[in-house]
Amino acid sequence: MDIGLLGQYIMNGLMLGMMYALVAVGFTLFFGVLDVINFSHGDVLTVGAFTGLATSLGLTALGISSAPLVVVIVFLSAIVCMSALGAFIARYLVLPLKSAPALNTLLLTLMLGIVLHEAVRLFYPQGANPQRFPSLLSTEAYSFGHFTLRVDSALLLLAGLAVIIGVHLLINKTKLGLAIRAVAQDEETAKLMGINFTLIVLVTFAIGSGLAAFAGIMHGLYYSEINFGMGLLLGVIGFSAAIVGGLGNIYGAIIGGFLFAALQTIGALALPFASAYKDVFAFGVVILIMAWRPTGLISEKVSERV
Amino acid sequence: MKRTLPEFGVLLPGIAGLIVLTVYLALLLQVESQTEIAALLVIAVVAALAATRFGVMPRIGRSFREFEGPFSLAIACAVLVMVAYFHEDHFILLLIATVIIYIIVTLGLNIQFGFVGMLNFAGAAFFGVGCYTAAVLTKNTPLPHLLILVIGGLMAAFIGSLLILPVLRTRGHYSAVITIAFGLLFKIFLEVNDVLGGPQGLHVDGMNVLGWEFNKNIEIGDDLEISFYVNYIIVGLLVLGLSFTLVRRLERSWIGLNLDAIRLDETAAACFGLNLIRWKVTAFTVGNFLIGMAGALYAMMVGFIAPTNFTFGDSLIMVSIVLLGGIGNPWGLVVATIILVIVPEKLQAIQEYRFLLFATMVMLMLLFRPEGLLPRPLRTYFPAWKPR
Amino acid sequence: MKTMRMCYSVVLSMLVAFVLASTPVSAKEKVKVGFIGPLTGGTSSNGIGGRNSADLAVRLHNANPNGKYEYELVVLDDECKPDKGVQAATKLGADKGVIAAATHYCSAVAIATVDTYHKFGLPVIVWGAVLPDITYGNNYKEIHRVNGTMINQNETAAKFMTGLGYKTWAVIHDTTDYGKGHNKYFSEYVTKNGGKILGTFGVTADQQDFTAELTKIKSLDPDVVYFGGLTPIGVRIRAQMDKLGLKSQFEGTSGIVSEAFIQGTGPLAEGVVAFREGAYPEKLPGGKYFLEQYAKQNYADGPEAYGAFSFAAMTLILDTIEKTGPDRKKVRKALDKVKGQDSIIGEITFDDHGQNTVALISKYVVQDGKWTLWEESEYAAGTRKLMRR
Repeated sequence: MDIGLLGQYIMNGLMLGMMYALVAVGFTLFFGVLDVINFSHGDVLTVGAFTGLATSLGLTALGISSAPLVVVIVFLSAIVCMSALGAFIARYLVLPLKSAPALNTLLLTLMLGIVLHEAVRLFYPQGANPQRFPSLLSTEAYSFGHFTLRVDSALLLLAGLAVIIGVHLLINKTKLGLAIRAVAQDEETAKLMGINFTLIVLVTFAIGSGLAAFAGIMHGLYYSEINFGMGLLLGVIGFSAAIVGGLGNIYGAIIGGFLFAALQTIGALALPFASAYKDVFAFGVVILIMAWRPTGLISEKVSERV
Repeated sequence: MKRTLPEFGVLLPGIAGLIVLTVYLALLLQVESQTEIAALLVIAVVAALAATRFGVMPRIGRSFREFEGPFSLAIACAVLVMVAYFHEDHFILLLIATVIIYIIVTLGLNIQFGFVGMLNFAGAAFFGVGCYTAAVLTKNTPLPHLLILVIGGLMAAFIGSLLILPVLRTRGHYSAVITIAFGLLFKIFLEVNDVLGGPQGLHVDGMNVLGWEFNKNIEIGDDLEISFYVNYIIVGLLVLGLSFTLVRRLERSWIGLNLDAIRLDETAAACFGLNLIRWKVTAFTVGNFLIGMAGALYAMMVGFIAPTNFTFGDSLIMVSIVLLGGIGNPWGLVVATIILVIVPEKLQAIQEYRFLLFATMVMLMLLFRPEGLLPRPLRTYFPAWKPR
Repeated sequence: MKTMRMCYSVVLSMLVAFVLASTPVSAKEKVKVGFIGPLTGGTSSNGIGGRNSADLAVRLHNANPNGKYEYELVVLDDECKPDKGVQAATKLGADKGVIAAATHYCSAVAIATVDTYHKFGLPVIVWGAVLPDITYGNNYKEIHRVNGTMINQNETAAKFMTGLGYKTWAVIHDTTDYGKGHNKYFSEYVTKNGGKILGTFGVTADQQDFTAELTKIKSLDPDVVYFGGLTPIGVRIRAQMDKLGLKSQFEGTSGIVSEAFIQGTGPLAEGVVAFREGAYPEKLPGGKYFLEQYAKQNYADGPEAYGAFSFAAMTLILDTIEKTGPDRKKVRKALDKVKGQDSIIGEITFDDHGQNTVALISKYVVQDGKWTLWEESEYAAGTRKLMRR
């Protein structure tokens, strides 16, 4: 195959993988501290993207047009709002159900997801229609044979990488990260060590939801379009990625995200029949991986306590 | 003579309750003005609260529990009376038929969720398997249509068995993701698969049993025309009756005991020598069979199916019905299905907002009344036996 | 006893509410007519334009003091999804008060619902869907259509584009009957006119990422990317073509002739060409009258490309009911016989399949954020140039 084309496919796959990984890290963080699946995560991403869009429209209305400034404000506003939303979800919806069966939490967050994206559909002006997301980054492009590198795509990829490294440093090198890891490992002991459990849970949810907001804006900038239903598939893919990687493990989630993107790209490229089967292929492989490694590629190291 | 009087006392609240409910539902189905519908709904809520407050509800519940057989028949008769009343009103009959079919689906889910505690977020997908089986078989084979109902169920059970291995090997959240992934995979597969109609969907022939065309209105004499939906309601009632009996029997049998034990504590159940795999496979398969059968009937009734009928959102609605009704209690499912299917259809004002409202409702339910509208009562082996 | 008292009071209060709330008042006999179109989802701007136009027809009729009936428009949403359309059609068909309806913008929906209308004997006039099979694929007397089919559209499109000198095409189509139909007829006519199809790609209607397909197309390097589908994915494909540096001309069908496409793609819409049956609203025989009346009602959104057809369909229905009375069978028979009926879109004549014969196809190009008739555009004048020309 043409080397330029191959590069193009790899670039497409990397962009997808980055978004999936960012979503998956959120899932895995939530699961780490609270052993819950927060299924509204994908829709938090949607709300984040729409917050970003509204901010950028607001800024345009105010007459602020300096592109770098707009980008920074859009990202910041979406991340801050979604972090707050995430903490709110943890405090008032997830924590109260802490002692209830896991199924209840799962359902609650699924329903919350519906509430979020339906709210966007019904209450955002023209929310049922796809919305155009403004191109805030440079649209310059460099061509190398069949390979076209757009400056905005490259910037997004680098930013995503920086965020993931940032999360890694936060979890592994800071006191906060230590506390999060402690809570994830053993809630009781962590409490005994004087860690404010509730606070750590809220902070973790805030971080995860902030990541989702980042991924949402990234999605908007990359595809130049957002819609109220975008979170559902992204959420499920992110969740699958987290599960495949092994819940509770950040590196597993990142690997899972890129793996899923790779599966999709390979599916589109290499399957002899219609490329439309790529998602069927990807989900099929996920189910197979689950049958092979029931707790994911990097499994949790816990034994059941009866 | 001595025994009949108290029995009559037990029976009476149930009969009264049934009559009131039938009349109420008939009224609700009939009225069209939005204010009237809203008023009726408010009345229902107030009446239900009052009934609970004054202890009427438990009494009705008691007479239903103690005379379950006769009451089940009475309910079927009440439905038939309603059908006779609305005999030419297509749309109302369609609603009734839809409710019946959805109850069958949730009964299936109830075996999986309510009894053995297996998560199935692909309810709509198994429903779809039944639908597509019916579509393909009615078009391409001369098989009798009642048999196709059964085959629809078997196909769903069979497709479900493909998931058995990964579902059994995983637990909790992990097995939830398998059903979710399958649900999505199924819808995407239908969309890209040309043989099964792709996103365009498929036309399904109406049912035909022994030359009796189900899709033709029944004309008796000159001026009496009965809607063709009545055919489907009757078949639906029969299937529902069988499924309901099956679920009830299953629950009361030692199989039901085993299933409950596994749900409550897998490890303990295994320690007592219960074969986890066997019972999980049984529950999963029987549940999917019921869902698939309901799907086949639905497809033949509506005459057209497309992938967008079987989305993740639809699976969620099915799960919400089970949860709202009270996990494990088949009677609760009936009530919840009626609410979730009929109310948004009648109350146009909320139609646009129905997903939002339902989701909010379920969330509030989970936060404040996680056991559902009609929680599952304790297992009773002897009628009139009261646990003390 | 308490139980019984409770029951009585409940029944009584219900009856009271029932009696209180039902107090009918009306001077003229009320007649219900239906409208179905996509009111939500990516194609909703066309659906809402159609809805408003049908509503306009009803309002104008109700304002006429000589009318025999007072009409009520029952509006249902098909979301441009076949199954939702069948549900809506069932609802209309099952409601005996509804006499006739103007239905469907999306072909995928319209083709799915024809059986339902036949089952319930509800006469309908299709106002926007272009798939030939809707009228020609069956012998149902209930189905009529005022707009033309995609056959003429693609014939014109293929002739026009090859005439401009384009040689090679890549085809992307959605996999509903609508997209497949476009793919079939366009491929047929373009090869007939000496063009060459390098590759064909079927995509699902809610697909988000087209980079894999477009990267493949990039390696094929066609002159034109032909897209047979509706606005939402049209917008995505146009945007992602730009992301990948794919510099082929973008050609669409009547499915993307909407304001939403231009809003969705922004500056990238410039120079996109598309084709639609019927004339530009202002150029229609009664176009001026229609647009004036439409403007008077102060609807929030414009009539869009198919509003005039919707208006014509609804007006035809109402005129027929005035003549025959509110009876489905009579209305159906009267509609079957429509010949040379005057309307704002010109004379309407239904053939034995209920298809109106509209030969005229308009060619559009986006110029400065507006769908402009090709003949009046700067592209035709030569001051601007399409891609690869």
